[in-house]
This record gives sequence, C-alpha cells and structure tokens, in this order.
Amino acid sequence: MNTNCLDIGIIQAFLDGELPVDEVTRVSDHIGNCNSCAMLLSEAEEENSVVFPALAREMDSMVPTQRLWARINDSIQVEKASAPWYRKIYGILAAGLASPSIAMAAGLLIVGSFLAVFLLNRPTAPVFEVAANRSTAVTPDSETREILPIAAAVENGGEHVAPASRIAQAAVQTASYRTPRIRVERAVYTTATQPNAPVQDAGYLPGEESYVRTIASLNKSVGTDQDPSVMRASERVSYERDMAVVDLTIKKMRETVKQDPKNDTAKQMLTAAYQNKIDLLNSVAQKEELVASLR
Amino acid sequence: MTTIRYKFVLAVLTAAVSGALSLSTPGQTPPPMPPHRLEAAGTYERAIAVAPTLNLTLCVTEGNLKVNGWNRNEVRLFVEDGPKFSFKVIDKGAGGQPVWISTTNAAPRPGVNNDCISGRAVEIDVPLGTSLNLSGKAIDAQIDGIRKVEVKTVGGDINIRNIKEGVKANTYEGDVIVEESWGQVALESSTGNIVVVDSGPSDIGDTFKAKTNSGAVSLTRVTHRAIEVNSISGSVYFSGDLKNGGTYAFGTSNGIIRLALPPTTACKIAATFTSGGFDSELPFSIDTENVAPDELKSVVGRLGSGGDALLKLTTVAGMIGIKKQ
Repeated sequence: MNTNCLDIGIIQAFLDGELPVDEVTRVSDHIGNCNSCAMLLSEAEEENSVVFPALAREMDSMVPTQRLWARINDSIQVEKASAPWYRKIYGILAAGLASPSIAMAAGLLIVGSFLAVFLLNRPTAPVFEVAANRSTAVTPDSETREILPIAAAVENGGEHVAPASRIAQAAVQTASYRTPRIRVERAVYTTATQPNAPVQDAGYLPGEESYVRTIASLNKSVGTDQDPSVMRASERVSYERDMAVVDLTIKKMRETVKQDPKNDTAKQMLTAAYQNKIDLLNSVAQKEELVASLR
Repeated sequence: MTTIRYKFVLAVLTAAVSGALSLSTPGQTPPPMPPHRLEAAGTYERAIAVAPTLNLTLCVTEGNLKVNGWNRNEVRLFVEDGPKFSFKVIDKGAGGQPVWISTTNAAPRPGVNNDCISGRAVEIDVPLGTSLNLSGKAIDAQIDGIRKVEVKTVGGDINIRNIKEGVKANTYEGDVIVEESWGQVALESSTGNIVVVDSGPSDIGDTFKAKTNSGAVSLTRVTHRAIEVNSISGSVYFSGDLKNGGTYAFGTSNGIIRLALPPTTACKIAATFTSGGFDSELPFSIDTENVAPDELKSVVGRLGSGGDALLKLTTVAGMIGIKKQ
C-alpha cells in the first residue's frame, strides 16, 4: 500500500460523482498506478451494487428526484393548458369556496345584490316630473340644445302664478346631426329637475364667469337630494319653481345682452337674476345649518 | 308520519306566502314617531333680575312663543308642557346685574342642543330695553314691545310689533308680519309672505330690506328712505309716501308690482319689464322709452314734477301698475 493511497471517503465520493473535475482526474491517475487503491475501489463498487438495489424502492418513494418533480410539473402544465375554460373557472371557484368564510361572504354578496336590484327597481315616492333622456351619442360636431323650463305665468285672481306642472317639464335633449337616430334612455322618475345645472356652457359675458363659478360651487355643497327634514315636498316644489323662473330669466337676459351688449338694463337684470340664484341656493344651505344647530 | 309531513308542507307554504308578501310590498316606512316630549315635561316658571338694557339669547324648538316687553328689570319665563329649564348668565354689567342671559335645559342630554327649550306655550316677559336674539325650529312667535329683535326660525310665522331700534327676521317656511316697528329692518322668507305696516327709521341711514322667494311682499306706510324689495315668484305691493331723496327698488322675476301713491307724489322712475305692461294713474312724463315688442322694455321718466326720489321697478314676466291713493 502506497503512503499516498486514497482515503476510502474520497473513493466513495469518486463513485458518487461528487468530486470536482480536476480531483476526478487526479484520483483516476492514482488508481491506475496503485493496486491497493484499485482494490478499494472495486470493493466499494461491489458494496454499492449490493446496497443500492435493496434501498432503491424505499428511496424512490420517500424522496423523489428532481427529475421526477420536473416530470410531474410538466404534466400539470400540459394538463392545465389543455383544459377547457369552464374547467378553469370551476377550479378557481372551487378553490375559493373551499374556505367557509369566503363561501359565506359570497352568499351574502349574492343575496345583497338581489336585494339591491329589488330596491332600485321600486317606484320612488312623490313624483313631480319625468326627467328625460340625455343622449350619449354625441359626436364632436354635434349640437346641443337646451330646452329650459317654460315658466308660463298665468293670471290667477290678479296674481301671476307659475304652474309647477308646466315648469316641471324641463328636459334636456341632445341631438346630433351626424347621427339622426337619438338614443333615448329609460325615463327616470325623480323629484329633482336640473335647476342647478350650469346655465351656460361657454362664452361667458363680461362679469358672468364669477357668478357661474359661485353657483357651481354652491351646487356642489347644496346638492339636489336634500335631507327631507330640511326641505319638505311643498317647499321643494316652490324651490324648483323659483329655480326654473330664475333660470328662465338668466336665459332671456343673456340672449338680450348677446344681441345688444350695450344694454345696461339687461345686464343689471342678468346680474340680479344670478344673485337671486345664489341667494336661493344659499337659503337651502343656511337652512340646513340652522336645522343642524337646533338638533 | 303523516302528521309530520303535513306540518312540514304547512311550514313551507307559510314561508313562501310570507316571503312573497314581503317582496311584493313596496318599501313601507315605519309610521312616524309621535312628537318627542322630553322627560319631566310640565309647567314651570322662573324669574331673574336683570339690567334694564339686556341681551337675551333664546332658542325654542317648538311651541307658541310670546315675548312681551314690560317696565320691570326682571325676566320671567313661563313654559307649559315642556322640560324644566334654568337661566344662564353670560355676562354681568358694572352694577353686577346680568346684561346678557340665555336659557338652558335643566336636565341636559347628550347629543342635543341643551340651550333650547320647548313647550306647548312659552311666554317671556322682558325689560323694554331688551335686545332679543331668537332661533327656533317650528314655532309661532309673537314679539311685542322690546328694543331690538333678531329672529331666525326654520318654520312658523313670526309676528313682530312695537320694536324701537331694529328688526331682523328670517324664516324659511312661514310668514313675517311686522307692525309699528322702527329702525333698520331686514326681513326674509323663503316660501312665506312678508307684510309690514307702519315702519320707519329710528336713526339716520336706517334702511329697509325685504326678500322672499315664493311669497308676496306687502308694505304699507313704510317710511324708510332706502327700501329694497325683491321676490322671485311673488308679487310686490307698496302703499305710502315716497320721501324726498329716497331710493326705492322693487323687483320681482315672475310677479306683479303694484304701488298706491299719493296724487302729489314726485319722483324719478325707471321701469323695466318684458311680457307685462306698465300703467300709471299718476301724471307721468317720459324721458326715454324702449317698448319694442319681444324685447326688454324700459321706461324712464318722472312722476309728477320729478324730484329727488328714485323709484326703480323691475319685473321680468309681470306687469307694473301705479295707482292713486
């Protein structure tokens, strides 16, 4: 036996293929020149040939090799790719609903959806108007017409009374010349008209923009769905009527000023009408504050 | 076994019928709760000695309120069928007597405004020099014989009379009626009418303003030199004299303007209208006129011999009429 003989551990590592390449070369050269090491190697090979087949079944079943894992994963991927879409959805749902809490939440969601649909489809209480139809088929060169409420006042016992029913016929229609077919949405029964909509869309007259901005900001703070404790039905009718009257005045005076920009009287009346609108919106906001302070 | 099956079928049928009924019934709101009467409601009366010139801050949520001025330096408050209350002294004068008081609920509750009192009837006697600051929810208020009034209520009528140095009243759902009251006057109502009889300035520069959205405004013998009346869908009536140098502006969007003036009235007049007309029984001379059809019409001229007073009348959809008194 040579003093430089290899350790049995190195030989075993050599057999298991665990040595680096340069070490494998050195061990091979040594075994070729050393009989005792060659004997050790052959003994180790014999031992391996006896032990490994005996343990092979157990080792394979307990610790699958990387190759086996790769094959399993590949099979799953192929199966997933070839599965139809409804199976995929079913798989996702089945996995999600496996948890009882998720299944309960899904059930509640479905019941809630049904309830919401039922409640939304109920008719609302007092109906003051049928607000109609804003077309969504608007092209860039389409023209928008705004039909303001008709505040036709009638003489009634010496006083002018604006019939709420007529005024409540306010409707906004949008027409398109390119697409003559007007798509009309289902009529919405509501207690609110569009009194708070911006009166004009563009082309402000001198000094008009600040009023329009103020009205827009008040519209946001006041809103159209006031608390019933703040505004009763009869008050709401009065409010909508007054708002329609003011909007009509603004429209009339605006047209007059556009036709004759030097008409100071029309300008003053336009300003007064804007101020009336602001006061009207403010009165609602102030009333809300007062009611809140007295609770 | 048959009994069990019968019971099961009966239970299923009952459940189905009740479910169908609950679905078919439109969302019914529960019946309104009866008016909340506070605990320990009863009849109470309290009095407190105060300074002759007093600020009284008062909040009444419901009931018929009467405030009466008397010639005593004492406040007496009587509440019928209401909660127990007490006075709160906010400030005292040099002599140690309260100059600013308010009321408070004797049994305060969390989450509500405990400075408010209520009752079927609330009566207050206050010194003649009292300045009242009243806020209310649903009250009919009668205020008589004090120095100054500032009222703000959500609903109910406000009757004010015999006020010496100014009235400010604002209600959202009721009428405002003012009689024999002097000083600076500012009245506002959202849906109610405003009626003023016999009012004038107590000091130089006192003005009169009245504004309503839906109601009418009626002024009789109002002698302020600066009067501004505005309504959106209500009419405006004025009966009385126009003071020399005064400025009178009456405007409405959708109502008529009617004035009854003495035959000797002299003033400048500027009337603006659209669809209605302009009519005057008093002698009237025109300076400028624009009455083209389908346009904003305006008439500027003089009533009588002219004068320094300016009468400005504006209506969009109504008519303007001047009658002889």
